[in-house]
Amino acid sequence: MAEAVIRDDTAQDLPTNRARRSRRQYAAPPFLSIWAVIGGAAVIVLIGAYPYYGSSAYVLSLLGKFLCFAIFALSIDLIWGFAGILSLGQAVYFGIGAYVVALSLKLNYALDHPTRYGGKIPDFMEWNSLTAVPDWMMPLYSYSVAITIALIFPTILAFLFGVITFKRHIYGVYCAVITLAESLILQEFIIEYQGYTGGFNGITDYSNYATPGFLWFILFLVVVFFIVARALTHSRVGTVLKSIRDNDVRAEFMGYNVANYRIFVFCVSAFMAAAAGALYAAWVGIISFLDAGPVFSIEGVIWTAVGGRGTLIGPFVGAFLVKGAEFFLSGALAQWWQIIVGGLFIFVVLVLRDGIVGSIGNWLRARKKKATLHQVVEESDRKAHDLQREWRPAGEPETDGSI
Amino acid sequence: MLQSIITQFFSGFSVVAILIIAAVGLAVIFGVAGVINMAHGEMIMVGAYTAAIVGKLGGNTLLAIPVAFVVVGLLGLAIERGIIQWIYDRPLETLLATWGVGIILQTVIKLIFGPELYYVGAPKILEGGFRVIGRLPFPYYRLFLIVVAILLLLLVYYVIFKTDFGLKVRAVRRNRVISGCLGIDTARIDMLIFIFGSGLAGVAGAVLAPIKSVSTTMGFPYAVDSYMVLVLGGVGSLWGVLTGGALIGETETILSFVFNNVIGKLLVFLFIVIAIRIVPRGIFGYYERR
Repeated sequence: MAEAVIRDDTAQDLPTNRARRSRRQYAAPPFLSIWAVIGGAAVIVLIGAYPYYGSSAYVLSLLGKFLCFAIFALSIDLIWGFAGILSLGQAVYFGIGAYVVALSLKLNYALDHPTRYGGKIPDFMEWNSLTAVPDWMMPLYSYSVAITIALIFPTILAFLFGVITFKRHIYGVYCAVITLAESLILQEFIIEYQGYTGGFNGITDYSNYATPGFLWFILFLVVVFFIVARALTHSRVGTVLKSIRDNDVRAEFMGYNVANYRIFVFCVSAFMAAAAGALYAAWVGIISFLDAGPVFSIEGVIWTAVGGRGTLIGPFVGAFLVKGAEFFLSGALAQWWQIIVGGLFIFVVLVLRDGIVGSIGNWLRARKKKATLHQVVEESDRKAHDLQREWRPAGEPETDGSI
Repeated sequence: MLQSIITQFFSGFSVVAILIIAAVGLAVIFGVAGVINMAHGEMIMVGAYTAAIVGKLGGNTLLAIPVAFVVVGLLGLAIERGIIQWIYDRPLETLLATWGVGIILQTVIKLIFGPELYYVGAPKILEGGFRVIGRLPFPYYRLFLIVVAILLLLLVYYVIFKTDFGLKVRAVRRNRVISGCLGIDTARIDMLIFIFGSGLAGVAGAVLAPIKSVSTTMGFPYAVDSYMVLVLGGVGSLWGVLTGGALIGETETILSFVFNNVIGKLLVFLFIVIAIRIVPRGIFGYYERR
């Protein structure tokens, strides 16, 4: 076993070399590079300290929103950038998480704030001539139950979806189309059953938590999710996932259970999206059917693509840039904003194929290796990059400038 | 109850026809050219607006059909030359790019025509209707839709299987490199087939305009329905379009009647998911050797 690991006829077969290789040591990059830690800490401090140096409640609410969007984009990046599953229905999980939490908050809010007619039920229920909260909604009065449902139910849904589709090698276009239909149906469901969901108006007017304390909580969860994602993609599982993304047939022939890996990462991603939705609902205090619809799903995909899929910083950069631009430009360019978004889709696909972070990464690598940008892009046959892709056996000599 | 279900079954024919009309263009673009065209709904929408303009100028649906074919065909030409031709080898990214095209089309049309709805009347000879079973009247226009659906399927069959162009298209689809070696201009074939599919989407818009108010967001549900038809029936097969459309249309009509619209859609969706679990590439799917 030990001898059969790597055979390289061209290399000098020195005994030391052989011994090193047989132990299968790989020069894996550090879990987080020092620059990532410093830069990340700077950004966290910059965002987290906003309540101290800034006074605008509007900007504060935007920061919380963007952080939730960033988690959502990260969940898309996990499945799309690292496992090659393009889901156009990720907002389903975001939306369910958001709706469960919003319903729970609204129910409790209605206890203290009776409606105009004196009922202690949410106002949208009264408008739809419900006289009491339905029995199956009772558990949502407890926050802990609501949060558990908001996180677990989408994960179970994702698991069922994964079992049905991935086990039968349904992915790529088929997966994209089915998830798209899934979110369209959820949207229609929410609109139709307005007695329970608020319909077109969504759920509004409940006590939300747009406080600095909650911002720090969201920030903390962002860091946790980032580290989880880093650990996942940096591990053996992550390597297998990337091999599935690059060539699923070959991965299957090598003996990996491709479907199970896909289901696993899909569930993790759904959990993250649900958490983002739950945080979002508690932060902004208004949830509508649009937050569960296909348009929002694809928005998340474009944030990931702009930032750079296959990188973990990309989703954050993309969400902040695109969403930030929307908030600051759509006032001035209301009519033209949609055209800019459409153009962004085309631009990312045609020109900026690796996204912002990916392109910068390419450029840095090209400098380091003294190669042209083109060579670097060619080298990794995928557009999605991560520094950790550069695994090489410990005994391998340094590259001599050529790739 | 049973009689009303039978009535629903007959009125389901027109739903099936609508699905097929909407899906035929996509069957050509997605099934033959291999482009995941998310702007399909918006192409239908542009076709419908073309019909609205033709109607304003005094024409009727029968005149609007060829006009819409040309207008949306030209639009398809622009999209193919401008964007799609660079990304044929990355199908999932054609999805993103064409989604962007769809957003742009929606916004531009809204800027030009304003947010209000347009209504297109059916041609005079197709007004009125007759009674089949029970009391539900069956409008002539629905009959017209069924005829159009059949004609469109026959047209695509003829173009793909009986013409020289279709032969080249099938050759390119089977083996692009060898076809190129044999002297077929594959890039030109790609372009023409995309134009043909876009034109069919335009025809769908023109035909469907009288049964629905014309707005900028009318297309998206049609696009999703079309994708569902293709996924169930099998991509790249005309029998698939017919079968998928028939199954989805009939199930949805009857289930929507028994329960309600949304439950009907949900059940149809579950039905499709279960169906493709059994036949992953659709009922008439084409299993390629890799």
